[in-house]
Amino acid sequence: MNAGHEVALLHNYLLVGGLLFAIGLVGFLVRRNLIVLFLCAEMMLQGISVSLVAWARYVDDWGGQILVLFIIVVAACEAAIAMTLILALARRSNKLDMLAWQDLREANVAAYVDREVPEERAPSATWPTLPPAGVQPPVDEQAQLYRNHV
Amino acid sequence: MNGASGWLCAVLLLGMVALCLLLPATTRRRRWAGALLGLLSLLLMLVEVLLPLVSWTAQAVFWVLAAVTIGAAVAAISMTKPVYTAVWFGLSLLGTASLLLFDGAQFLSIATVAVYAGAILVTFLFVIMLAQPEGRAVYDRITWRWYSKAAAALVAAILMGILTLALDRFARTEVPWAPALEQLDVLHPAHMARFGGELFSKHLLSIEVAGALLLVALVGAISIMIQSGRSPGAPPERMEP
Repeated sequence: MNAGHEVALLHNYLLVGGLLFAIGLVGFLVRRNLIVLFLCAEMMLQGISVSLVAWARYVDDWGGQILVLFIIVVAACEAAIAMTLILALARRSNKLDMLAWQDLREANVAAYVDREVPEERAPSATWPTLPPAGVQPPVDEQAQLYRNHV
Repeated sequence: MNGASGWLCAVLLLGMVALCLLLPATTRRRRWAGALLGLLSLLLMLVEVLLPLVSWTAQAVFWVLAAVTIGAAVAAISMTKPVYTAVWFGLSLLGTASLLLFDGAQFLSIATVAVYAGAILVTFLFVIMLAQPEGRAVYDRITWRWYSKAAAALVAAILMGILTLALDRFARTEVPWAPALEQLDVLHPAHMARFGGELFSKHLLSIEVAGALLLVALVGAISIMIQSGRSPGAPPERMEP
């Protein structure tokens, strides 16, 4: 173990942490799904955690690691509250789209309208089926409500 | 401009283009091109921008962990289906946890796997299943205005460039203070005991507050759910995609 190694380790960890933060930032700015936005926020927190642990090792102090522990606690609280709020919002608008809540914008900002929505690709996999045989069973209406995709 | 900052500029430019090609509202061919460019920039960053570690084993382990973490993070933000996003984010979390372990934070590594991957990610998956009937919504396949991807990637590249330049000056010139090299307390074999001792002596009040915060979040989540069930906009029987 030498000083150069410790400095190189700190340097590399800070860069990886910064990259995680930057990628989370890009996702937060670009994506529109509420759940993906929160995943991106968590990713930014991960970047901070990596940097803090690297500093804790370099400075030889427990403070960084303990701060990361509190970050995890706060992230758990935040995830619980945010997921509840997102679920409540999704129940009202039937969507997870940020755009559904653009009524909250400033009064002098024009409404955002989607343009050039790409075509949906056909489902790639065709699932195997059995050939129908025998008596036609009665249709189960409950089963019609199940989704075939997640 | 010396060699290091030249490599840095190349890596940032390549990474920016790769992110623009990878993010949604893209075609399959562009996505492949973006993945290749992203891999190239990641490789260049690992070899040219990051500093070499003391031994080649440490170097190899760090490269693999960093590549998995960063690659999975990029994949997470570029998937159009939210379930895939959650799964890639889980892989990125495992990479982060391994990085923490590699840096001598054993307890935090386990806590990251248990709390993040075990609890938070599963909550995300539950909500995705509950709130999004079909994983093929329009708003997952498009972004905001046409320049949003380029602008966001540019912001990220500038941020990373500034941070890296500042770090390079710090790391390549002199060591401001020497870390205690003989016996890093953070790396002591009795890691958990030391960590717990520090936590429950110096930070006892903070631990109590954190516990109270968890309880408040629990009660708050339940009460928000009850309130939203009572709201005038009653939940429909089946949600439209």
